[in-house]
Amino acid sequence: MDRVEDEVLVRRVASGDERALSGLYDRYAGLVYGTGMRYLGDRGTAEELVQDVFTSVWKNAAGFDPARASFATWVYRITRNRATDLIRRRKARVRTVDGEPLFEPGETDPSGALSQNFDVAAALSRLTPVHREVLVLAYFHGLSQREISDRTATPLGTVKSRTTAALRALRETMRFDEDRWSADE
Amino acid sequence: MSEHPDTRNLLGPYVMGNLEPYEEREVEVHLQGCVSCRQEAQELRLAHERLADLAYSTEAPPEDLEARVMARIPRREAGRRLPIWVAAAAAAFCVLAVLGVFVTPDLFGAGAAATLSPTGRAPDAGGQVSIRGTGENMEMRLEAWGLPACKSEQYYELWLVEGDERVSAGSFTVGQSGRVDVRLNVPRFAGSYPKVGVTAEYDKDPRASDAKMLSGELHEL
Repeated sequence: MDRVEDEVLVRRVASGDERALSGLYDRYAGLVYGTGMRYLGDRGTAEELVQDVFTSVWKNAAGFDPARASFATWVYRITRNRATDLIRRRKARVRTVDGEPLFEPGETDPSGALSQNFDVAAALSRLTPVHREVLVLAYFHGLSQREISDRTATPLGTVKSRTTAALRALRETMRFDEDRWSADE
Repeated sequence: MSEHPDTRNLLGPYVMGNLEPYEEREVEVHLQGCVSCRQEAQELRLAHERLADLAYSTEAPPEDLEARVMARIPRREAGRRLPIWVAAAAAAFCVLAVLGVFVTPDLFGAGAAATLSPTGRAPDAGGQVSIRGTGENMEMRLEAWGLPACKSEQYYELWLVEGDERVSAGSFTVGQSGRVDVRLNVPRFAGSYPKVGVTAEYDKDPRASDAKMLSGELHEL
């Protein structure tokens, strides 16, 4: 599923391709689950959020219109709405692990940080495998440049230049997405 | 300026705070006198901050959660996976020889088509592929010409292709005329592949060959 665009995968989901749903799960489940842990506060409800979101993607994929928004934006909205539903159901004021108030029922993602995270996840998924690997090892596994060099059997100097190239590619992909969707609005 | 390229390659780990102290000093000295590298560092820092935010907000879900999600989704009749279809198509043909083609669009219902271009293996070959239909299954028609006649235990195979991934759409043989006109049943989502291709295959080798004969990009009709 490497480098197959989200929008292609969601069309396959609409036709009943479970493998395509698995591909989207690989790209976004960690963020949806992390969002649940952060905003809903417990593992059980976070797992429920993940199940609700991907079930919704499966059921509603045929209605997804790539001309109106990216898949990242679409799945972000589903996540936000389902999280709001779960909060409303609990009828309790929910706080983040840091004690900061969460978005309340009916309230949007006020800072836009959550929406932005989905956009970055989409951009990351479109990098080449080599670029994505070096960034995932650094940011999601917390490895130093030397540790990445050892893990991937790649010269340290190459890891450093590859990390620079990967960040540059990510920035360019994010800019392309921003221009693409703002031009369509 | 001779140090410029080397320093530029360090800007990524620099904005991440992952350089050795001596390297960090070298970069900072360079940045004081290089406007373009300062701008580059600013751009990379933005990507770094966005990625750090994403990593902070991401948490690995329990390993069995994906299986639970998949178990919960309602099944659709059209949700059969391609290998089942591929196996059925291959069995129906009982072929000796196959071609390979690559199709490329994302279409459902309306249909798609591709013009096939030859490779060096069959420079006079050509062909067309079309996918039509409105139901859960569609008809994929392949018309090709100029292909070498199949020898014993040889056949051609038609592929749906996307990046390094390819899925068989069926197989066929070609006689002395070098022409073929076959119709295959394919699922609706076959049209989501961007390319089609035809390869030459051998009956006794279960692996897909790299002997590309024709290829083309699918376009929505």
